[in-house]
Amino acid sequence: MTLALEKIVKAFKKDVVLDGVSLSVGRGETLVLFGPSGAGKTVLLRLIAGVIEPDAGTIMIKGRDMEGVEPEDRGIGMAFQNFALFPHMDATENIAAPLTARNMNKTAITETVGKIARMLKIDHVLHHKPKELSNGQKQRTALARALAGEPDILLLDDPLRNVDAKLRFEMRLELPRLLKDQNATVIYVTQDYKEAMALGDRIAVMNARGIEQTGTPEEIYLTPANIEIARLFGDPVINLLDVSPVQVEGGVFITLSGVPVNIDAGYSDMVGRDCIIGIRPEAIRFVEEGSAEAIPLTIEAETPLNEKTVTLGLTQNGREIMVSRPAGTPGPSQGTGYIVIDANHIHLFDRATGKRIVPVKTQAAGSQGVAP
Amino acid sequence: MNTISPFETVLRGIAITLVILFFMFPIFWIVLMSFQTNATILQVPPSIFFEPTLQNYRGLITGQLVTDTSSLEIRFMSNLFNSLFLSTASVAVGLMLGVPAAYAFARLKFRGSEDIAFTLLSFRFAPPLLVLLPLTIYFQQLGLANTYGGLIWVYQLIVLPLILWIVRGYFEDIPADIEYAYRIAGHRWWTTFRKIALPLAGPGIAAAALLAFIFAWNNFVFALVLASADKQPVTVGALAFITASGVQYGQIAAGIILSIAPTFALALYAQRYLVEGLSLGAVKG
Amino acid sequence: MSDATHSGFPKRRFKVSRRMLPYVLSLPALLVCIGILIPFVTAVLYSLQRYRLSQPWARKWNWGENYWNFLSDDSFWNTLKVSMTYAFTTVGIELLLGLGIALLLQKRTKFNNFVSIMLLMPLMTAPALAALMWKLMTNPGFGILSYFAGLLGFEDFNWASDPQTAMLTVVIVDVWVYTPFIMILLLAGLRSLPQQPFEAAALDGVPRWFVFYRITLPMLTPFLLTAVLFRMIESIQQFDIIYAMTQGGPGDALTVFQVEAYLNFFQSTNVGRSAALMMILWAITYFLSNIFIKNWLRLRERQRGEA
Repeated sequence: MTLALEKIVKAFKKDVVLDGVSLSVGRGETLVLFGPSGAGKTVLLRLIAGVIEPDAGTIMIKGRDMEGVEPEDRGIGMAFQNFALFPHMDATENIAAPLTARNMNKTAITETVGKIARMLKIDHVLHHKPKELSNGQKQRTALARALAGEPDILLLDDPLRNVDAKLRFEMRLELPRLLKDQNATVIYVTQDYKEAMALGDRIAVMNARGIEQTGTPEEIYLTPANIEIARLFGDPVINLLDVSPVQVEGGVFITLSGVPVNIDAGYSDMVGRDCIIGIRPEAIRFVEEGSAEAIPLTIEAETPLNEKTVTLGLTQNGREIMVSRPAGTPGPSQGTGYIVIDANHIHLFDRATGKRIVPVKTQAAGSQGVAP
Repeated sequence: MNTISPFETVLRGIAITLVILFFMFPIFWIVLMSFQTNATILQVPPSIFFEPTLQNYRGLITGQLVTDTSSLEIRFMSNLFNSLFLSTASVAVGLMLGVPAAYAFARLKFRGSEDIAFTLLSFRFAPPLLVLLPLTIYFQQLGLANTYGGLIWVYQLIVLPLILWIVRGYFEDIPADIEYAYRIAGHRWWTTFRKIALPLAGPGIAAAALLAFIFAWNNFVFALVLASADKQPVTVGALAFITASGVQYGQIAAGIILSIAPTFALALYAQRYLVEGLSLGAVKG
Repeated sequence: MSDATHSGFPKRRFKVSRRMLPYVLSLPALLVCIGILIPFVTAVLYSLQRYRLSQPWARKWNWGENYWNFLSDDSFWNTLKVSMTYAFTTVGIELLLGLGIALLLQKRTKFNNFVSIMLLMPLMTAPALAALMWKLMTNPGFGILSYFAGLLGFEDFNWASDPQTAMLTVVIVDVWVYTPFIMILLLAGLRSLPQQPFEAAALDGVPRWFVFYRITLPMLTPFLLTAVLFRMIESIQQFDIIYAMTQGGPGDALTVFQVEAYLNFFQSTNVGRSAALMMILWAITYFLSNIFIKNWLRLRERQRGEA
């Protein structure tokens, strides 16, 4: 492990921000810290960087305990959300900061800065002071500065937060390649789930309680640990409906608009209990009236969302369901529509705890088609 | 908007004129006196028309006061030098002591830091003689009496709180992330302090230094109590000068003008920071 | 960065230096503090002693006697009266005048800025030198102000050398020097006030006196308090102007606290009484400065917050 955090505790005055957070990141891996503001993501980065100290717990970098090790001795590069450029230095001097720290000679510095600047397309503004740079240029300068020292660990604190949408889109495409080229271990903080999915080898989902789930983007999306995470990933947001599964011969069912929907038999433990079912809008399909297991839906509204069309419908007892389909594919825009639900993409959560119920693997479940 | 009546405009004009008259006239009149001989000064009624002379200034600068009847040695230039030296050295010492402390108070909030900062501030408000009177006795014992070193130390009473509180505000205005970024880039604390914190707080440090200089220059009581004639600044020297030079009023006026000119010049130069300095960093001008 | 860059230093050293750094940085300033605190403690001790420099053999503890004696000491009550009169008169006049001038100069015009900078000149004059300037102007022989007084019918108007007018004279000098202080602070305050309430009041046709009492003054209060308290603390301790002008005279007309303590120490060499006087002055200023610092901090927070 390049970086390992063990039971980190950090409080400011009486406000406990991190309470026993553990995390490890492998060499060359990009870990995205994803979560709402106030979850302590930035604090975690600062602890790793060594500009603040934990109240308890250990931080290991390349197997070495970082307690008492100054920030300059940790081999870290960091890009700040607010860029934190040195206002009295031009872009060149800003980017060269990690190089001057090592007494590198002038020609080598110029060469290295030039190379990085070309890569990030800011070579034409190298002699500008930060206040003469656009936000996008500032962001690239900050990134260049973090990269210039070729650090073992790169900490990126929501670097795209303060740039415009177009640049953010471009950088989202560009960054993964850039980070792979660096071959550095990266911790990337963001509040944007698309950024998290696009950039992360793994994602650690954080909230005020700490890290709730760690996994690959697919794992997080397909098997969210709880309702909150299920909600945070996906646009349009996942459908969540109160249900209470029933056991009928042939499997476990829930009822929508009076139509029984067969779910994984592994959920049999939850029969009769208060649950919430989560169905991704794209796991629902419109079908012709009269199809098997079709659930009637009163269509309320239809809106385009990027390359998708989102339909909002009501079940018989007035519960809202959103259905997402690729734009241009057929579907009802008013009146009554009929849907079927892909049983593989149904999540069941415990209503009391919000946790996802992992279906128990059963013999019989095989025939029902269990989610992988 | 409420319109301003012509009557009010006239009233305002009169008020402003009176204000300017009251505050500017003394300076104007002393300047006039400084270019006059005793004969024209003593003329009744006083007149603003006279033949200006530079003899007062010449006398002060050469240190020889030649009158019709006698020749008198005056040490005004050495007072001026003392003022310059004491103020400059006090500010230099104050900066060396105050700037690092201001940084510690602004950035590295530590236990007891606020208490110490406020103790320093409270010196600004304590009666100076409270400390000065016992100090005269200590200074005798320590051999600091009538030394530049002793005076410069005591001058820290006025210089240090000023520098500390103004510069602290400037350090607080630098985002901590900027310094963190430099540290993370691989620079030691000391390098970061010199290359990032100091340059960014530069204008504040300059302003504090200029103001501290003005306050040190204008101080009277410290040197009155602790310095003998050879170490006295102009504020104390001018007082002694009045009795020494007897009736040479033109000389006294010229001495006053030479003594206040440096602070006027600095104040004009640093006017942007005056409000901030005078309120010890509370109000930005 | 390679491992080599961050090895070779024992960890302990960093640990210690990081914890100690703030203390190391503030230690020199702290030492100066302590150097000042020692004489302060000494002053407290002196105030509890019978101590005359002229009679060192008679030095002994007399505990509260120096203070106790004040109760029946007319010259102490005179000192208190003179100091209070001086402080309240100067600060009162300076506040009214300073506020008036600040209101006159409120608009940001070139002329107003020029005037406000010019008016700072008296404040930049050393108070002791300012006293000398006025001494020259009130000289009974050739002083221009004595001449004007004569023109107005005040023959033999003796300014500072007459017990009747000595207070008036030093108050004028104090007002001349320090009114600009209050003016410049209030001017900064007035110019930093938000504009909306004034615009709204103007649109509604609210009378100007009403706007002044109900909007301007309340919003200006923190600045007024800071300026007034600051001046009060300094004024009650005034030494330079009075000493340079009359050395406390004529008679005991101007023996304010610090002047009285100075004369006690250097002329009567009564160290004990002098120290006790200073302690009482210190108690008064301590009380005032506590209120001041609270206000000053609030203002500082607010102003920095807006900046």
